[in-house]
Amino acid sequence: MACSSHYGNAIEEFCLAKFKLDMEVLDQRQWCSWEDTVESYGELTNCTFLVALKMNCFWPNQMVDEFFIRVHRHYFHDCSLSGRLLHDPPNRILGPFIVVPILVTLLMTALVVWRSKRSEGIV
Amino acid sequence: MGWQETLWLLTSFILSVTKAGTTETKSEPTADLSLTPVMMAVEGERLIMTQSQYKCLELLSRDGSHNKTGLFCSRFWDGLLCWDETPAGTFASQNCPDYPSFDPLEKVTKYCDESGNWVHSSSINKTWSHCLTFSKEKIKTLPVHGFLETETEMDPTAESQVSPVVTQKAEERKKIIDGQYKCFEKMNRDQPYNKSGLYCNRTWDGWLCWDDTPAGMYTSQYCPNYFPDFDSTEKVTKYCDETGNWFRHPETNRTWSNYTLCIAHTKDKLKMAYILYYMAIVGHALSIVSLLISLAIFFYFRSLSCQRITLHKNLFFSYVLNSACTIVNLITVVNNPKVVQRNPIGCKVLHFFHMYMLGCNYFWMLCEGIYLHTLIVVAVFAEEQHLHWYYLLGWGFPLVPASIHAVARKKYFDDNCWMSVETHLLYVVHGPIMAALLVNLFFLLNIVRVLVTKLRDTHRAESNMYMKAVRATLILVPLLGIQFVIFPWRPENRLAGEIYDYIMHILMHYQGLLVATIFCFFNGEVQGALKRQWMQYKAQWGQRRREHCSMRSTSYTATSITEVPAFMYHHDCNSEHLNGKQTEDSELVALKMGETYA
Repeated sequence: MACSSHYGNAIEEFCLAKFKLDMEVLDQRQWCSWEDTVESYGELTNCTFLVALKMNCFWPNQMVDEFFIRVHRHYFHDCSLSGRLLHDPPNRILGPFIVVPILVTLLMTALVVWRSKRSEGIV
Repeated sequence: MGWQETLWLLTSFILSVTKAGTTETKSEPTADLSLTPVMMAVEGERLIMTQSQYKCLELLSRDGSHNKTGLFCSRFWDGLLCWDETPAGTFASQNCPDYPSFDPLEKVTKYCDESGNWVHSSSINKTWSHCLTFSKEKIKTLPVHGFLETETEMDPTAESQVSPVVTQKAEERKKIIDGQYKCFEKMNRDQPYNKSGLYCNRTWDGWLCWDDTPAGMYTSQYCPNYFPDFDSTEKVTKYCDETGNWFRHPETNRTWSNYTLCIAHTKDKLKMAYILYYMAIVGHALSIVSLLISLAIFFYFRSLSCQRITLHKNLFFSYVLNSACTIVNLITVVNNPKVVQRNPIGCKVLHFFHMYMLGCNYFWMLCEGIYLHTLIVVAVFAEEQHLHWYYLLGWGFPLVPASIHAVARKKYFDDNCWMSVETHLLYVVHGPIMAALLVNLFFLLNIVRVLVTKLRDTHRAESNMYMKAVRATLILVPLLGIQFVIFPWRPENRLAGEIYDYIMHILMHYQGLLVATIFCFFNGEVQGALKRQWMQYKAQWGQRRREHCSMRSTSYTATSITEVPAFMYHHDCNSEHLNGKQTEDSELVALKMGETYA
């Protein structure tokens, strides 16, 4: 039995309900919190994978893509993109962190050059 | 920066090879690359999906082969119960599941409406309220997960012993799920494809995210770092064919991305990474030994002391500490993934010191450059400068970028042992170092310019002059660390890249040895002092063997002879040390004479 379009229905019926229940337990504000949702999201992914195995579909496929896009549109549409793995701070914080030490370095160098020049004059 | 990537290659491969050694790797990637990428989920399926859900899934796979007349709702798993296919417009009911606090004698009903869709209740309360045997207030507090734990706890031993295999696989899965989430988010938010012509739709292939790609094109990105044997400096390619569909593997007829390069050269690269690792350790060890010998020489021979030698001593000392820190770091942290996993505070402190010593190294090089510049260009060959500012710049100032980096790292990118080099926060330390190197380069070029013009003024032959200038520059380059400014980019070609790695590693890790050799062992004055000392010992030893008065008197004259040159050399400390070779003194002495008379 090859992969059919039933797969799309199957994952909707089979996997999405559990995920819906899990998300309903959480407060809507927690939907964007990765620590709270990662387990359910992982289970949802697994479920789609196992259904694919059973229905002789390869995973992932276009229906999986569409399914997850719908899930994201419903549950995660206003979550910030970053915040999952370790990431750099935004540029407005990173910039000063980098530029200020460089400027201080140049200042210190100029100071040392100036002081050593001046000491020549004294001697 | 090229050397930074080299260091990352080194550390990542050392970490990966030890990980692969201690844990079992996942199923052979070569075979699996043509099959489903998410095979690792299979091993954990029993734990993740309950037996009831699995049974339901089994039944689902057997559905669909027989045709039913009329409309019906398909098989459905609602989280706790399996609902069979039901004709449209009817109720389906079954007993409550056999869970604690559930009454299995109660029934749950669901309605399949006329259009063939299940009517889903909007909350848990309605669905299971019949089943619960205790008060309704408790319904709200029960999480759905709690029900599932009763099944998964059937196998407690598997859960209690969290072996490294499980934790590593869990880490991998976490990264992949994370990637998947970010991918679908991106797919949602990105603009729809607005160029004309056929294209392949954006997709998630199980490991990486792919954008909309025009038909007939290859697209590529870097390999992910999910697995120990994946080289994240290699590329993954994906082909969008002319019909606007992603390339399908001919054997399995499924969309396929080419991950073969990620593991193709891994063994060779591992071998090379280990070679580079041992080279680094040997280089730093040799540097420490030679630098300590040089320091001993500088401290023992008081006659050698002058301001430039004092700066040399500080520079050598910072090199010694830098090498020691690097060796400790390489041996205890880089080669030791267990430590990284434990993430003790000590390894972060060690990293802080490493950053500080790195800064000290380069800032002392800058001090040497400033000193030379002041000496030669600003106030030619005058003797005394106040060294306090140099000490401040060399030892005190590097605390500033190192502390800022530590604070920023703790707050924004607090990974295990601060090992990761994938963060721009490293530029907090490397930025000032690069600035120092650039200023040094400027000073160097200025010094060379002055030397060349002064040499030209003495009317020497052209070739001689350029020879001297070139030799002087080449001797100064290792001192001032310019190689990091000139060679920051790694070539793409594999062979050229390997050669580049070897050269960069030799330059980086044997630098201490090089500096000690050129500025101590090849220094004419040092050689002279050592020779004199050796003659003294020989003479004294000879004196002990033969107790004749004549021998004693010759030894007295020998010592008095050795005293005079030392006194003479003291004045010419500055001019000699420019080239480090005694033979070139004549030019510079003439130059100096020329200066005073001009």
